[in-house]
Amino acid sequence: MATALDTRPARRTRRRWVAPWLFLLPAALLFVTFLAIPVCYALYLSFRGMRVSGGGPFGVRSETWVGLDNYATAFTDPEFLAGFGRLAIYGIIAVPLTLGLALTFALLLDLPRVAGARFSRTAIFVPYAVPGVVATLLWGFLYLPSTSPGSWVAARLGIGAPDVLHGAMLYPSVANIAIWSGVGFNMIILYTSLRGIPAEVYEAARLDGANEWDIAYRVKIPLVGPALVLTGLFALIGTLQVYGEPTTLRPMTSAISQTWVPLMTIYRDAFTRDDLSLAAAASVALALGTLVVSVVLLRVTQKRSFGEVS
Amino acid sequence: MRHPVRTAASVAAVALTLAACSSGGDDAGAGATDEGPITLDYWAWGTAQQPMVDAWNAAHPDVQVKRTDAGGGTDSSAKLVTATRAENAPDVAIVEYNTLPAMIVAGVATDISEHVDGLDSEFAPGVWNQVTFDGATYGVPQDAGPQALTYNKKRFDELGIEVPTTWEEFADAAEKVHEADPDAYLTTYAPAEFGGFAGYAQQAGSEWWSVDGDAWTVDFDDEASVAVADYWEDLVDRDLVLAEPLLTPEWNAQLNKGDILSWPAGLWAAGVLYGVAEESAGDWAMAPLPQWTEGDSSVGFQGGSAVVVTTSAEHPEAAAEFARWMGTSDEAAAAQIEQGQYPASLSGQELTLESDPPLLMPEQEDYWEIAARITQDTIPEISWGPDVNVASSAFQDAMSKAVTNGTPFRDALTRTEDEVVADMEKSGFDVTQK
Repeated sequence: MATALDTRPARRTRRRWVAPWLFLLPAALLFVTFLAIPVCYALYLSFRGMRVSGGGPFGVRSETWVGLDNYATAFTDPEFLAGFGRLAIYGIIAVPLTLGLALTFALLLDLPRVAGARFSRTAIFVPYAVPGVVATLLWGFLYLPSTSPGSWVAARLGIGAPDVLHGAMLYPSVANIAIWSGVGFNMIILYTSLRGIPAEVYEAARLDGANEWDIAYRVKIPLVGPALVLTGLFALIGTLQVYGEPTTLRPMTSAISQTWVPLMTIYRDAFTRDDLSLAAAASVALALGTLVVSVVLLRVTQKRSFGEVS
Repeated sequence: MRHPVRTAASVAAVALTLAACSSGGDDAGAGATDEGPITLDYWAWGTAQQPMVDAWNAAHPDVQVKRTDAGGGTDSSAKLVTATRAENAPDVAIVEYNTLPAMIVAGVATDISEHVDGLDSEFAPGVWNQVTFDGATYGVPQDAGPQALTYNKKRFDELGIEVPTTWEEFADAAEKVHEADPDAYLTTYAPAEFGGFAGYAQQAGSEWWSVDGDAWTVDFDDEASVAVADYWEDLVDRDLVLAEPLLTPEWNAQLNKGDILSWPAGLWAAGVLYGVAEESAGDWAMAPLPQWTEGDSSVGFQGGSAVVVTTSAEHPEAAAEFARWMGTSDEAAAAQIEQGQYPASLSGQELTLESDPPLLMPEQEDYWEIAARITQDTIPEISWGPDVNVASSAFQDAMSKAVTNGTPFRDALTRTEDEVVADMEKSGFDVTQK
């Protein structure tokens, strides 16, 4: 009798232990197979390198342990580091504009009695559905003088069209593509968050004599703070991972090098220069950097936006 | 087709019978085994390959070749290296001449000297030299790309331009073209064209990589290369040539308008131009590349490729036999010519003399004669280093920067050399920088 009473809770506890693990299993398997193992392999690769073993002018290279060589190479490569500088200029243009435009559009769509809301919402969102490479090619054609309607009009008006793929204009030109594609996505997140605000809050504000401006500035923006932080984080990570737009534009201009942004350098080292180990080291560094920046951003904004006290 | 299984079975039976019949006296020595016909995997790009493979398959039932298009030169080589490390590389693959050393040190290409004994007499020395390293042969040349000047004859005639025979005349012509029509340029100096520049520099007498015993010497900024860099810098500075990338929508539009009048590049240029400016076919012609010294006739290569057997090949002998056939048989050469490739073998080049000129210049009767003459004059001693990929990527960025920022082009050569030497030292090669 006593034993029966003792075992029952034990068995129940065991069952309680098994169930969550069973539910977790598929996700855990996928995580281990497609994330954990590749990450560990990249870490391993970053300490290896291809070195000539046989000797002679055509000695075959084989993989050996090289310690921190690859990290030293990555961090002393002026082009890799300069890529972060270019990334910063690009980010300073792209991130605030994307978020600013997204917030503006979301607030406008959330106004009471706004005309054509559904159409506008779709129209703003559609560019997000255009694949990045297609969007870049599309804009590329618009940038190149011979194929651009802008230059055609400028020529007819007798004014020279600016060369948007060289010099200082290059950054806004590349950022423009990301902004065009990204505003819709961010707008939807912010808009959804706005729709989640209870109507009573607005009623109270109106009773206190607030107009739509006051409501937007003092009620809506503070209340969508968490969504703004989230979109900001996405935008920041997206900036650190810029690759598609400049790579697709590269054949059209000599101003974009193969090392224009860090990910392009990583691609070049891995696939053009056959130095997977250096690419792995640079990738690990970039991933750790992204992690640190994300954590710092969340820490700084957490208290304000989520009202949490840590 | 109501009994697909039975149909398939009978097809297989016929195939087996055929294989059994031909395995006796076939020239592919390592042909059919007891398990039936062998299949070779072959990676190759370009329109000429499938017809060539089809011709081989029809003639060799016991060694069937399956072709995969793994991308153009750069992509295909990158994938070959990765696939070799993963131990699933194809048996045979196309590799560009300048990438072959990199494929050897990456352990992709295997020494096929014993299978291609005596094959050197089928090729001009300059071509054969492209696949022979340190006394060992690593491939069979398939097509050749000696440099020539492909020009818009109609526009040349309109503007009263003579075909230049020296680079000095070429510069004068560039000035004349731009004066006669401010929108028009004689040619493009594309900063990313590593292969083109390498060809001009080789023609001027430079040797970027050289081997002495076990040691490499690297010299990108020798006197000849610097002179070539200065030459183009001057033309770009004076706005006499267009300093833009090739084959962009912008460039294609200008080409179609008749604003770009020539392209000094490999013989394959005719096919590329036809692809982007089909409507101007008939306006074009080909002439030998201008020379640095009057009366000279030597030219460098730009492009061209060889068929290599990989270290992963399970039947290296059969694979080498396929490579030999692709490089030297008349059937393969005919298929190449039809698609606008210039065969590397002497017999294939002879075959072109009976062929029609390329589609871009259907009226130029002496096209193939000029091509054959140019090929005879290619520089026999050109050696590429084990890291042309590094050189090419470094050159592209350094030269693009020089063009964009207006800094000396010769500095781009020094920068390239520094990166190449650093890479070779890191890999563990014995290397001297000059």
